Amino acid sequence: MKQLLEYIARALVDEPDRVDVQQIESDRLIILELRVAESDMGKVIGKQGRIAKAIRTVVNAAAVKENKKVVVEIVQ
Amino acid sequence: MNECEATGKTVDEAVEKALTSLGIKRNNAVIDIKEEPNQGLLGLLGGKDARVVVKPDKTPGNYIKAYVEDLLGFMNIDGKVIVSEDEEKLKAEIFGQDVGSLIGRRGKTLSDLQYLVSIIVRRQFRELKKMIVLDVENYRERREKTLIQLAKSVARRVAEEGIEKALEPMNPQERRVIHLALQDYPGVTTTSSGEEPNRKVVIVPR
Repeated sequence: MKQLLEYIARALVDEPDRVDVQQIESDRLIILELRVAESDMGKVIGKQGRIAKAIRTVVNAAAVKENKKVVVEIVQ
Repeated sequence: MNECEATGKTVDEAVEKALTSLGIKRNNAVIDIKEEPNQGLLGLLGGKDARVVVKPDKTPGNYIKAYVEDLLGFMNIDGKVIVSEDEEKLKAEIFGQDVGSLIGRRGKTLSDLQYLVSIIVRRQFRELKKMIVLDVENYRERREKTLIQLAKSVARRVAEEGIEKALEPMNPQERRVIHLALQDYPGVTTTSSGEEPNRKVVIVPR
């Protein structure tokens, strides 16, 4: 999950080196905290959060297989 | 097209640095080694780092294929990607045993995935004008056939009964399919009502 999110985020931003994902995992839930450069926030959120929504959809599709729910938090 | 120059103790290390900063993978890159590393005398004097220039592989077709393949890999999905191109669109089709989760409810996952991939490809190829289309196991074609059938059967009832009917909410592409399918259908006309994402086609008797 972590790698998937990193791979998507790196391709969206201007400063891929500054993409960082922390994975916090419990039995049923995975929390992914995504951090990017401040100037890149808009690139992972998008107008009206459309990009962030699409990222969440794709990451959750991957999580279905593992029978887990994934929450993607974009952290300042 | 963006490229990245990087240095490192070995060619490999330099390439990895450049790939990371471009946000791409090796199967998707053209690597130009400018300087081989040099240990220098006894590793002490005059040692020189490797220097490479890396840029994304040149065609949008290669890029989208490699990118989608990598995504499938990270998602643990075993699928094959076939890319085709014409004047209007660049299309990546995914085939495989367990690719259904990429479609999602009423194609939601597929449309979000297409949206992301299309932004990502356009970042690398800013001059690309073509529409970027993703498909999974011919879902789009199958869905279009279903929509046309639905449109015609509802239109027949509307024409017979003279009472307008609203279809379920659809995205703009799906609504377009309905409007086009009924543009010459006798006795009815179509409009849309409501706000996204709950906008619906309404079939009205004429």
